[in-house]
Amino acid sequence: MRRRWNVSLWLGFVVVLGGLFSYVYFAQFPMTRDFPWLNLLLIGVGLVLLATGLFRAFGNPRLYRGKISGSILAVISVCLVAFFCYEIFFVLRDVPASAGAPRMGENAPAFTLPDQNGKQIALADLLSPHGAILMFYRGHW
Amino acid sequence: MVAISVDPAADSHRLAERMHYTFPLLSDADAATIRRYDLLHPHAGPKHEDISRPAEFYVDQNGIVRWVNLTENIAVRARPEQALAAIDAARHGAQ
Repeated sequence: MRRRWNVSLWLGFVVVLGGLFSYVYFAQFPMTRDFPWLNLLLIGVGLVLLATGLFRAFGNPRLYRGKISGSILAVISVCLVAFFCYEIFFVLRDVPASAGAPRMGENAPAFTLPDQNGKQIALADLLSPHGAILMFYRGHW
Repeated sequence: MVAISVDPAADSHRLAERMHYTFPLLSDADAATIRRYDLLHPHAGPKHEDISRPAEFYVDQNGIVRWVNLTENIAVRARPEQALAAIDAARHGAQ
């Protein structure tokens, strides 16, 4: 008897990859960037499909293919998902304590810095009657 | 409103043109101001250079800090409506 193609293995792998790489897209929106629930959901669905495929391959090898390919796909998926989780739950949260940052009620330290056109701008220049927002960012790359 | 980073002014010029930003993007190339605000994130840049961690402050007309947002996750930033609500609250509190 010809064994069946183990479709859930490959589908699961593709869904896991989709869940990982779509982070670049979903990270544009605060709703899906603050906590990447949509990516984790996709990854979860992909892993369940992969696991189903593996159970079929090992539980019913006469009917389904995929003992070797399924194992390889599963190992690759688990490594990629582990790396993703490490980045999301550890690297992104690894920010300095900034205990010495100015607090509410304190004076904002003065500065004079060039803007994108080379014009020198001091904190005092920014303090209109409306006040000013200072937005420190990581930079653009 | 101003944005501050270690990016060179030329890079910020390109970014502002492309994104049509009209507010100043200040270049703190040696991170002196970022250090003074204790916001340095060492070796966190793409080439392991020292950069700023994300942070937002609202400073009133007297130079007093009225709102601080120090994120604990670099993917989570203050949203515009959050900043506006904080400024409204600070200004009403001051009146």
